[in-house]
Amino acid sequence: MYGTQSRRAISFEFQSQIPNLRPSIHTRRANITVKFQDLYGFTVEGNVDDVNVLNEVREKVREQGRVWWALEASKGANWYLQPQISSISEGIALKSSLKFSTLANSITLKKLIRKGIPPVLRPKVWFSLSGAAKKKSTVPESYYNDLTKAVEGKVTPATRQIDHDLPRTFPGHPWLDTPEGHAALRRVLVGYSFRDSDVGYCQGLNYVAALLLLVMKTEEDAFWMLAVLLENVLVNDCYTTNLSGCHVEQRVFKDLLAKKCPRIAAHLEALEFDVSLVCPEWFLCLFSKSLPSETTMRVWDVLFYEGAKSLFHVALAIFKMKEEELLLAHQVGDVINILQKTTHHLFDPDELLTVAFDKIGSMTTNTISKQRKKQEPAVMAELDQRLRRLNSLKVDDK
Amino acid sequence: MATSGNKNINAKLVLLGDVGAGKSSLVLRFVKGQFVEFQESTIGAAFFSQTLAVNDATVKFEIWDTAGQERYHSLAPMYYRGAAAAIIVFDITNQTSFDRAKKWVQELQAQGNPNMVMALAGNKADLLDARKVTAEEAQAYAQENGLFFLETSAKTATNVNDIFYEIAKRLPRAQPVENPSGMVLMDRPAERAASASCCS
Repeated sequence: MYGTQSRRAISFEFQSQIPNLRPSIHTRRANITVKFQDLYGFTVEGNVDDVNVLNEVREKVREQGRVWWALEASKGANWYLQPQISSISEGIALKSSLKFSTLANSITLKKLIRKGIPPVLRPKVWFSLSGAAKKKSTVPESYYNDLTKAVEGKVTPATRQIDHDLPRTFPGHPWLDTPEGHAALRRVLVGYSFRDSDVGYCQGLNYVAALLLLVMKTEEDAFWMLAVLLENVLVNDCYTTNLSGCHVEQRVFKDLLAKKCPRIAAHLEALEFDVSLVCPEWFLCLFSKSLPSETTMRVWDVLFYEGAKSLFHVALAIFKMKEEELLLAHQVGDVINILQKTTHHLFDPDELLTVAFDKIGSMTTNTISKQRKKQEPAVMAELDQRLRRLNSLKVDDK
Repeated sequence: MATSGNKNINAKLVLLGDVGAGKSSLVLRFVKGQFVEFQESTIGAAFFSQTLAVNDATVKFEIWDTAGQERYHSLAPMYYRGAAAAIIVFDITNQTSFDRAKKWVQELQAQGNPNMVMALAGNKADLLDARKVTAEEAQAYAQENGLFFLETSAKTATNVNDIFYEIAKRLPRAQPVENPSGMVLMDRPAERAASASCCS
C-alpha cells in the first residue's frame, strides 16, 4: 500500500548495478576527482584512494557478515535479540540470577556491533535493540496506518515546512529524490509531527528519517525508529523550540573536549573557535549530512545499542584524529575546513570507530547524565535571556 | 608583512533570513558560480570562504550561511558574534520573509557589532510575476535603517557578486595587518575597549 515493496526492489536493483569500481591506469593519478555511488546509492565525489577505500569497506562488510552468520550457527538464530542482552547495555543492574552466558553474549554483542552490523541484518537488529519493537508493541497494530490516514490533507506549519524540505533532502538520490521517496518521507515526518506536537517538525529530522527509510524494511518501521530515537535514545528537547537539548549537548561536548583532548581544546580556545560552530549539524543530523553513508550507519549501529553518548565518542574522535593538523591551524576557517574535509572523506568506518571507542577512553552514561544536569540551568537561563531581549526590542519598536 | 596600499582583510560575514529565502543559493552562486533548483536545507550553519580583490585591498570573506527555521535562531548569536558584515536575505515573493528580515535587522542592531556592514538582499528577483514586496518598500526600509539594498537572483546571478563587492568596499580599512597569522577581526578594538572600561 505504501509502495515499500517496489522501493526495496529499486534499492536492491541500484545496489546491484553499482559497478565494483576499480580505477583504471588512466585514473591512477593523484588528486583526480571522480564521482561514484556509495553503498546506499549516494553520489559522492572523491579521489582514487577514496574509491579504493570504499571497495575495501565492501569487502569488510562481507567479512563481518560471515562473522555474524558463524555466531548465529553456534549460538542459535536471533541470539542477539534476547531482551536480557540488550538490557545490560542500558545499564540496568545485573541480577544475580543472570546467567554467565547472557553476560558473555552481551559483551560479545557490544564488540560485534562496534565492528558493524551487516546491512542485511540492520533492519532487524536496530528495530529490536533500539527499543522500537517494544514501543510499537504497546499500541494497536493499526497505529501507523490510522495515524497517516487521520492526518492526510491537514495543513500545519510543520507540514508546510516538510513539503518545502522534501525535494531538498539528499537531492539526486536515486530513490529518495523520486515522487515515491518524497511521499514516504512525507508520511513519516508528517505522522511524527502529529504524534509529538512539541517537536512537530525540525529541519534535520528530514535527513535522519530519509536514512532510516533507506535502511528499514518498511516505512512503518522507519517511523518507529524515528520515534524511539527522539523519545528514548537521544536527550530530550534536542529538536523542540530553541533546540535547548542541542545547546546542552554542545556544552557537555565542549567540556569533554577539554578533558579528553586538552591540547586541541586549548588551541581552539585561543583561536576563538567554539565547538557550536560545527556541532549542531553533527548532533541534529546524527552525522548523516557530514559522514559518508556507511560510516553514518556504523555510528548509528552503536547509537541504537549504546545510546546518545556514542555521538560524543564519534565527535571527539573526529577532533582527535586530526590533532596535529588542528594544532597548526591559525584561523577559525582553517579549523572548519580541516573538520569538513575529514568528515567528508571518512569512507572507512573502522578508521573513525577505532579512535572513537578505543582511544577516547570510557565515558559512562551516568557521568554524561550528570554533566547534562549541570549544564541545563545555564542553557535555560541563556535562552530565556535572549528571548527577553528580543521581546523588549519589539516593544521599543512600537 | 603588510604593505601600505595592499591590505589583506579577513572579514567574517553572516547570512541571515527566513527559511527558503535563498541564503545558501546566494553563497553557492558567489563561491562556486553555481545554482541548483533544490538546495539541501542547511542545518546549524555552513561555512565557506571566498577572496575578493577590491581597489586597494584583498578581502577574504569567511562566510557563515545559517539555517532559516525559527527554532534555529537560538544558535544565530554564535554565527553573528564578531561578524564584520551581514547579508539579510528575504524572498521578494514572500511578505513573511521580509517581516522576518526586519526582525533580523533589529536583532543585529541591538546585539551585533556596531560597525557591522549590513546588506539587505531581496532575492528571487527573477520571479517578477510573483512579487509581493516592492523594491521601493525595501529600499525605503533599508535607507531608514542604514543598510544598503540590492535585489538579487541566485538563479540568474543578477547582483550576487555585486552585493559582496559592495560589502567589501564598505568594510572599514582602519587596521593594517599586524597579526602574524594574518587575522584582522574588524570589531575587536571596539569590543575590547568596551569590556576594558567596564572591568577596570
